[in-house]
Amino acid sequence: MDNKSRGRLVHLLISKSMAEALLIAAVSVGFYFATTNPNLHGVLDNADQSWVTGWAVDEANPSARVEVQLFVDDAFAGHMMANQFRPDVHDQKRADDNWHGFAFRTPELSPGEHQVRVYAVHSNGAGTRRTLQLIGKPYKFIIQ
Amino acid sequence: MNVITEPRSNADSVASSSVVPGDRALAAWEIVSLVSSALIGEWILAAAGGRSKLIVAIPITLAFVLIFVSQVLRGESLRDLGLRFDNFARAMKLLALPMLVVAVLALAVGLLSGARPDLFRWHPERPIAGQLALGFGWGLIQQYALQSFVNRRAQIIWQKGTRTVILTAFIFALLHFPNPWLMLATFIGGAVWAFVYQRAPNLFALALSHSVMTWVLVSTLPTSALNHLRIGFKYFA
Repeated sequence: MDNKSRGRLVHLLISKSMAEALLIAAVSVGFYFATTNPNLHGVLDNADQSWVTGWAVDEANPSARVEVQLFVDDAFAGHMMANQFRPDVHDQKRADDNWHGFAFRTPELSPGEHQVRVYAVHSNGAGTRRTLQLIGKPYKFIIQ
Repeated sequence: MNVITEPRSNADSVASSSVVPGDRALAAWEIVSLVSSALIGEWILAAAGGRSKLIVAIPITLAFVLIFVSQVLRGESLRDLGLRFDNFARAMKLLALPMLVVAVLALAVGLLSGARPDLFRWHPERPIAGQLALGFGWGLIQQYALQSFVNRRAQIIWQKGTRTVILTAFIFALLHFPNPWLMLATFIGGAVWAFVYQRAPNLFALALSHSVMTWVLVSTLPTSALNHLRIGFKYFA
């Protein structure tokens, strides 16, 4: 193999690596936006033995209702639309109207410490992927 | 063992004699590049591409461009690569015994694990001849990449012998990760095919063997063991 051919082969290998790196980068960005909605925001306000409450808004579409799911101690415990009366969210100009709250009835739990998480459900345009995004922070509470 | 008596082209002699260190590094880089393309397709694009699998064709196309251009730049002829018929019978003769042994072993393992042999399990909707023809085509593509590229580049690094056979088999098995039974089968098959290719380079014989052995494994081993021959991210689908 002469030097010219060797040089061409090296160029091809470098070009191929760069093309694949760009492809992976493009796919990663596409995958991020297909599985994540950076405009979904909300807060998990409170959790106790009776209720888990908070609000969730899609800031890119503030008049739409967001579907949320409740997990207690990492186990699915229910889902609902965040469509309950929360005027404070509207007052803070996070939404177009007053109806973005959620309030889950807490399932029966044994005495001790528990942790709840609420996730917003995000569906990609084609509906082929549905992913969960954590709303606010996990909330710990104790049942006596 | 007619390697010495067979006519050898310049490319063939380069692969086994005076090779400068830079050539070895370049050959290693070529192998790594091919493997990375396959792994990108199997693990990243198959996962991220959603329902459309067309995107997987991009790294595979890049890999085959690399193979073609590399073979042209290295002056390898079709004969060097194994796309020839003169040594078909010799290659088949070398393959016959290992194929028979693997077939008997697969049948025994299948029976011991309670699986009933089913010759129509591979693609029940197609006649066996059609299955084997498709398997031959797919096998030819795989053997072309594996032997006429990986095996030959490995020979530039280490020359012919056990190390290159093991490396070729290991790479073939790696590309079937994480399917454990398929990895075992492809390691054994890859070693046999690499061994035979180094003695009688004939891709048509290897493709025929590839097709028949895939059919035998699918027909004899439990379906759950092979997991529909799924590999990469799709193994978990």
